Amino acid sequence: MALNIVVCIKPVPDPAYYDKVSIDPVTKRITREGIPTIINPVDKNAIEAALQLKTTYGGKVTVVTMAPPNATENLREALAMGADEGILLSDRAFGGADTLATSYTLAKGIEKLDAFDIVFCGAESADGATAQVSSQLGEWLGVPHLWNVFAMEAPEEKRLRVKTKIENGAMEWEIKTPCLLAVAREINKPRFISAMGIIKAKNKPISTWGKNDLLVEDSHLGLDGSPTKAGGVFTPDLKRKGEVLKGDPEQIVEELLQRLRAGGISIDLDGSCEWGGGK
Amino acid sequence: MQFFQFTEEQEMLRKAVREFVETEIAPHAAKWDEEDHFPAELLPALGELGVCGIFVPEEYGGAGMGYIERAICLEEIARHSAGLAIAIMTHHLGMSAILDAGSEEQKQKYLPDCCAGKKLAGLATTEPGGGSDYTGQKATAKLEDGFWIINGRKCFITNHQADVNVVTAVNGQDEKGRNMITTFIIEKGTPGFNTGRHENKLGLRGSITGDTIMDDVKVPEANVLGKVGAGVKIGMAAIGEVGRAGMSAICVGILRGCVEEAVKFANERILYGKPIAKLQAIQFEVANIRTDYEAAKYLTYAAFAKKDAKIPATTDFALAKYFSSEAAVRSSKRCMDLMGGYGVINEYPVGRFLRDALASIPSGGTSHIQQLIIAGSTLADFKA
Amino acid sequence: MKKKIWVFAEQVKCGLDPVVFELLTKAGELAAELGGETEVGAVLLGDGVEPFCGQLAEQGAEVVYLADDPALGLYNPMLYAPLIVELAKKEQPEIFLFGATAIGSQLGPTVAAGLATGVAAHCVDMRINSDKLLVADVPSFGGKILGEILCPDNRPQMASVKPGIFVQGPARPQPLNVVKMDLSLLPRNELPLKALSLEKKEVEGVPLEKADIVFCGGYGLGSKENWDKLVKLAAIFGGAAACTRPAVDEGWSGGEHLMVGTSGKSIRPKVYVGFGISGATHHICGMKDSGLIISVNKDENAPVFEVSDVAVTMDLNKVLDGMLARFN
Repeated sequence: MALNIVVCIKPVPDPAYYDKVSIDPVTKRITREGIPTIINPVDKNAIEAALQLKTTYGGKVTVVTMAPPNATENLREALAMGADEGILLSDRAFGGADTLATSYTLAKGIEKLDAFDIVFCGAESADGATAQVSSQLGEWLGVPHLWNVFAMEAPEEKRLRVKTKIENGAMEWEIKTPCLLAVAREINKPRFISAMGIIKAKNKPISTWGKNDLLVEDSHLGLDGSPTKAGGVFTPDLKRKGEVLKGDPEQIVEELLQRLRAGGISIDLDGSCEWGGGK
Repeated sequence: MQFFQFTEEQEMLRKAVREFVETEIAPHAAKWDEEDHFPAELLPALGELGVCGIFVPEEYGGAGMGYIERAICLEEIARHSAGLAIAIMTHHLGMSAILDAGSEEQKQKYLPDCCAGKKLAGLATTEPGGGSDYTGQKATAKLEDGFWIINGRKCFITNHQADVNVVTAVNGQDEKGRNMITTFIIEKGTPGFNTGRHENKLGLRGSITGDTIMDDVKVPEANVLGKVGAGVKIGMAAIGEVGRAGMSAICVGILRGCVEEAVKFANERILYGKPIAKLQAIQFEVANIRTDYEAAKYLTYAAFAKKDAKIPATTDFALAKYFSSEAAVRSSKRCMDLMGGYGVINEYPVGRFLRDALASIPSGGTSHIQQLIIAGSTLADFKA
Repeated sequence: MKKKIWVFAEQVKCGLDPVVFELLTKAGELAAELGGETEVGAVLLGDGVEPFCGQLAEQGAEVVYLADDPALGLYNPMLYAPLIVELAKKEQPEIFLFGATAIGSQLGPTVAAGLATGVAAHCVDMRINSDKLLVADVPSFGGKILGEILCPDNRPQMASVKPGIFVQGPARPQPLNVVKMDLSLLPRNELPLKALSLEKKEVEGVPLEKADIVFCGGYGLGSKENWDKLVKLAAIFGGAAACTRPAVDEGWSGGEHLMVGTSGKSIRPKVYVGFGISGATHHICGMKDSGLIISVNKDENAPVFEVSDVAVTMDLNKVLDGMLARFN
């Protein structure tokens, strides 16, 4: 009795530095120099969810990413958290992929592994934040999939009860394995990497697979396999005048109330009727 | 010589510890300092992280890494809380004595819980008469009916509330009339073993420092650490290559804090329409702070590398500790100067850095003591 | 053949999601830009949802594609997606818009995978270019960068839009024209995915998206007490209280449903007043379209002031207490 669990992760530029992202005025390319690459934050929740299930039922956790070669560093981090094996899907031919081509490539990588019970993903990436890869991966893999999972119980090994977030509420589901779950950050608190984990990770296998290692159709890969094409990029100009109000707190409050009124908020400033009471 | 570079695992460890420190320690550091609170509740998590037993072999529940890794942990913790860092450093100090001098039974008995952060360790040698006059200590140990009876008072003991205490006492005199010192392991709760006053320190607050009082403490012979009379060697080794070394790493952490805070402030503070980082006077300060940090880092990690290679490194640690602690004092002062009035506002951590740096100087031997060690080895080694 | 622009008419329990009307308005504008014979359609699935067809026609849907079946009562991608994919294969829409709600965010890309086409996710603007292609502006890096996304060769050109990005325009009534979907395609066997229940909390007070004035608190709030003050202030003005990600993480605010930003809500109140907000891009992206932006932050270098009309560089406690005292 053991579960074969796959976790898909994405290396992203650290969101703490997004204020520093800019567009090169000459090349018109996005510059993200000096910004460290980290495991997409919610993908760590996906790893944690997988590790917790493994603790309950036993089995194996394989972490898969489609990324440039230096992403082995991020895979190693996932292994240090406790995953068992890392797979890096890396090939020039995978470059320029949109969510459809990315999910296709991931699916082909996962199909090369032993049959899985559950695939975990993070609900969205911090950089692109399309939140589309998990659903499309579920479709390519031909398994039921759910997005934005914030609670999960596994009463039996092959059947899970999960809750997904919706606006102001939740949906509850029953889902049978094999399946794919894209998790939200509320689902758990990812463990910290420990020194012991780092030592163990040193000897865990990481394989790199290129296009020729996978059963793929070239037309589905990378830029060619991407129905969406990128046009221009620009930084929105949001500058406003930033007029600074001066004075003591009472003066500031009065001034603010005037601004609110000017901004279209009707307020009774003379206090002729009681707030909350009927006029 | 090859260029200075940490291994991939060491970089990963640094990142992992930093992540923990930034989420679990940094937000509370100012409060711990203000309230002089030791976050004992964090020990199990630090144990899980591997920090508590970072250099202890796996068979005793440790992470099985080395002393460079220990320095990385201490630097990262000290970057945000030098107070907590010295408590962990002292925890290591007690454990290292057991690891280096303890019997197999003692290691099995004490180390796993200390590695897991279930128990806190400490080392008590200093007495009111002074810490550096090591053999002049007054605490006594007498063997009676197969039990050791220990009496005395230790002071300035960081982690004096520890669960596992490595304590030294005089057990007699040798033929030349010199004190013979023996090291004991005394567990918290042993009758007669008590904590005395709790010092109100200038810096490194959040670590608990105070007196340890022993009043007819009775322990079995099995509690002797190493051989009877071997206490000088055990204590000096722990202080010289673990305690002093740890303080050096802590000061590197404070220095990195100075660099980062200085840069942050210099870029954010706008004066006459531009960040003060554009001013040369500010740049000079930034350069000085950075130089102090880099030099301290290289001296410290080079000494730790020697220790991992099992090469005696007493002088190296003296050099590193002397430089790093003095550098931490002057750089945190520089950082304050750079910040003008903001430097003395407690919302900014720099004032705390300065207090922590000053308090680091007497821990593990004052600068004067380090200078004596350095001079001694220099006068011998450089003789034509 | 007529060109078709479709809107997924999302509904849960209490009715159509407001984003549907915002999208229908936008679909009408896109239809005008495309020119020629372009028809706006709505795709409605559910149980007992036929009465909603009228509302959709009222807001500009010239055709409503309807699948009304007890099996569709609760959203289930394994039931919804195949019906929509087959319909789209048959009808060949040019453009297909989804609300980037929790359900739409899953259904949109799922349908797109079935149709092997692309989705521009979380658009903040869209237009038709000279080649008669849909150009969607999509934020990345927390809204710091906007990129144009096109889908030149595959159809439909799909896009998802968060609630509150577009404004619902005046009604554009159309004659009711309901086309029923082929329910024989509906899987009747037991599925490996079952929706068991759906719960929605009633929102207290004025919903964030509809409030004229929003008082928003960030990490600088510093405490739950200050959050409670914000709520009080919002009640006085008949507005809503909102927060940033750090305020959610600290556990001060009511929860994530009150969070404004790229991973939260996009709002455009008449007046936005921010307290203790530094101005991370993620947050700015969700409030930048507010009519008047007022920011209170004692850090005079807070980036939020750059995107504010009015800046108050004072301890927020003083301002909060002053405002409350004014109405006490």
